[in-house]
Amino acid sequence: MESTNTENGTNIINKPFEFTGKSGEFFAIWIVNVALTILTLGIYSAWAKVRTNQYFYGNTLLDSTSFRYTANPKQILKGRIIAFILFVIYFAVSNVSPILGAGAFFVLMLLVPAFLVLSMAFRLKNSVYRNVRFNFDKNFSGVYKIFAIPVVVMSAYIFVISQFQESVENSAGAEPTFPIFVFVLLGLIMLMAPWWEYMITNFKVKHAKYGDAGFSFSASTKNYYWLYLKMVLILIAFSALLGFGAAFIIPLFKSESAEPSAIMQYMPILMFVVIVPFYLWIFAYMATKRTNLLYNNIDIAGHKTKSELKTGYMMYLYLTNTLGMLLTLGLLMPWAKIRTARYRASVTSVDVAGDLSQFTAVQADHQSALGEEMGEMFDLDLGF
Amino acid sequence: MIKGSYFNGETSAKKDVSLYYKEDGLVGFNELDIDEISFNDINISSRIGNTPRYLNFPDGAQFETLDNASIDEMVEKLANDPLHGLAHKLESAKSFVLFTVATVIIFGWLFIQYGIPAFSKQIAELLPDEASQYMGQGVLDAMDKGFFSESKLTEKRQKELTALFNGLLKNIEGSKNYQLKFRLGGKIRANAFALPDGTIVFTDELINLAEHDSEIVSIMLHEIGHLKRHHSLRATIQQFSLAMFVMVITGDVSTSSSIITAIPVMLVESGFSQDMETEADSYSLEYMLKHKINPNNFATMMEKLEASYMPEYTVCMEAINGSVNQKVKAIKCINDAVKLSKDENNEDDKSTMDYFSTHPSSKERMDRFRLK
Repeated sequence: MESTNTENGTNIINKPFEFTGKSGEFFAIWIVNVALTILTLGIYSAWAKVRTNQYFYGNTLLDSTSFRYTANPKQILKGRIIAFILFVIYFAVSNVSPILGAGAFFVLMLLVPAFLVLSMAFRLKNSVYRNVRFNFDKNFSGVYKIFAIPVVVMSAYIFVISQFQESVENSAGAEPTFPIFVFVLLGLIMLMAPWWEYMITNFKVKHAKYGDAGFSFSASTKNYYWLYLKMVLILIAFSALLGFGAAFIIPLFKSESAEPSAIMQYMPILMFVVIVPFYLWIFAYMATKRTNLLYNNIDIAGHKTKSELKTGYMMYLYLTNTLGMLLTLGLLMPWAKIRTARYRASVTSVDVAGDLSQFTAVQADHQSALGEEMGEMFDLDLGF
Repeated sequence: MIKGSYFNGETSAKKDVSLYYKEDGLVGFNELDIDEISFNDINISSRIGNTPRYLNFPDGAQFETLDNASIDEMVEKLANDPLHGLAHKLESAKSFVLFTVATVIIFGWLFIQYGIPAFSKQIAELLPDEASQYMGQGVLDAMDKGFFSESKLTEKRQKELTALFNGLLKNIEGSKNYQLKFRLGGKIRANAFALPDGTIVFTDELINLAEHDSEIVSIMLHEIGHLKRHHSLRATIQQFSLAMFVMVITGDVSTSSSIITAIPVMLVESGFSQDMETEADSYSLEYMLKHKINPNNFATMMEKLEASYMPEYTVCMEAINGSVNQKVKAIKCINDAVKLSKDENNEDDKSTMDYFSTHPSSKERMDRFRLK
């Protein structure tokens, strides 16, 4: 489905991504990975990770050429062992003494921005397309600056509150001021979160490279404020609807049944049926809009990526994946991963300006896997 | 002749080429004006499903092809490496994959059911007592804030029971920091807890179920059993190992929500605790037999505990609230409830939800104490 149009004299051709992985084939790879991981007491997990990634990269095609994942399993194993040891220490420390645990947690938090950069670098440097590597500039001071701002604002907020609290305690008989603080906090978060998400996404994109060509990002803070605003409006509308619905339905039932508590018995089920799908939907909504916003604004030397994920279909995927895995105790996980990857590839494409042959390769330097493995071990959400 | 794409390693330009190789191990391309290269200097990626294969040359160039069969053939002819492609051979042998599915399910289950508990038990016993004492300091504080309120037992009664408790400890080694505390259970109702730091908490509601103090003693011994066997430490280690196990196996489950990883943990968690309850029971039983305390007391208490969750008991207790002779009336309430629950149990048989409950079927437990 290639379409052509011309812009400033260069030919723009829309090239779709293709995903050629098959559930059955991946199931075999996955189950052998699991078996060998158990038999080697976890050591094979590094090789398993590489084979899994290689399967997904290798089956992702653009312009009938595959992507390639080149990480060295031994390096991943090393990163995993260090991260595991630190995790055990952290776990032991926080169980023995909550104070020391809090200290360890604080140190870990201080390192999160560094892990983010290292993890991005590891992932991109091990991604190859057309024998040209992706790359990531390790700009540590930049990422710390971005993380510092919310920390400073929150500290200021806590400081102001504690000052205020003291003065309230000094003047006897004052009204409790709790709700105001909550509103101020919510307001601060709503003001900062979209901006911060823009900053961090912008950071990740702008420091990424394919060969020697930098990525540029054309989204603005406005896009992110708009995304969050829509989410809040949907939440408010839904709560209002739910409130009205409840106010309307409950009296109806009351008049019909003799026992006033009859409806209350069904309340939890009703809540489950209404609220859980909504929660899933808003989750799918944010995930798809975020991804679309990201990929619709990336430009690599004139080639622009496109993403047209649909919230409804993503929700359908999440729902059926979860159900399938629940019913088979996880055995359908390969199927779930393959169909998700296939859908994602089917709605992603690149508007290629001219052709993809003019990128220049850059010599790769060594990149440790520790950042990425720390991120996985401590369940931090790093990367794209 | 193997058709594929050639990338020179300097730019992303792609050239369609066909690769040839000779018996003597030299490899070259028909369309390119470059020297033939020795097969041994080429790095060939291992096969993963039907994903493309990559041949990397010493000068940085790469050849990419989808013709896996021809590459396999070439490797077989030119290389003397039986390990090359081993993982793929395993992955593509249907019988091996089926065998693996069965092995993974069986071993996974055995590992979770027996491996992790045994391992945790070993570790828990190796660690010094201090480990469990430090662990979870402040558990009681949290419970006080959440559920408990101050005990309504008289000071005299509390002292009596504490004396009984300390009497038991005299015969138990390493029990010097065990201590007894009383709380009004409220929502928690009749229950007792062994906290990791050696504190045993009894709710007033539980104390009020007992007609004789030896009934309370039997429960004290059960809780001491939990402490002696380091159960909270073990549970923590188990939880940790299980979480790690699930994480390693599933890798990443971002394609669905994370409830999926919580389910095996939940299923097994309850199984673990059953085991520990049985162990604590054994401890209590052994002590009672050794020190000539009638084990029947424990069975009686179990019966009463179960019956105390019946609505009839709650109603009965509310009715006598504030009246004279409350203690005697309370005993009557619980005895009535026990009778009632026995009648009901004879009607409908054992529930099928056994596996999902934390405690082993109470009937089984009571029987252990009655047979003696």
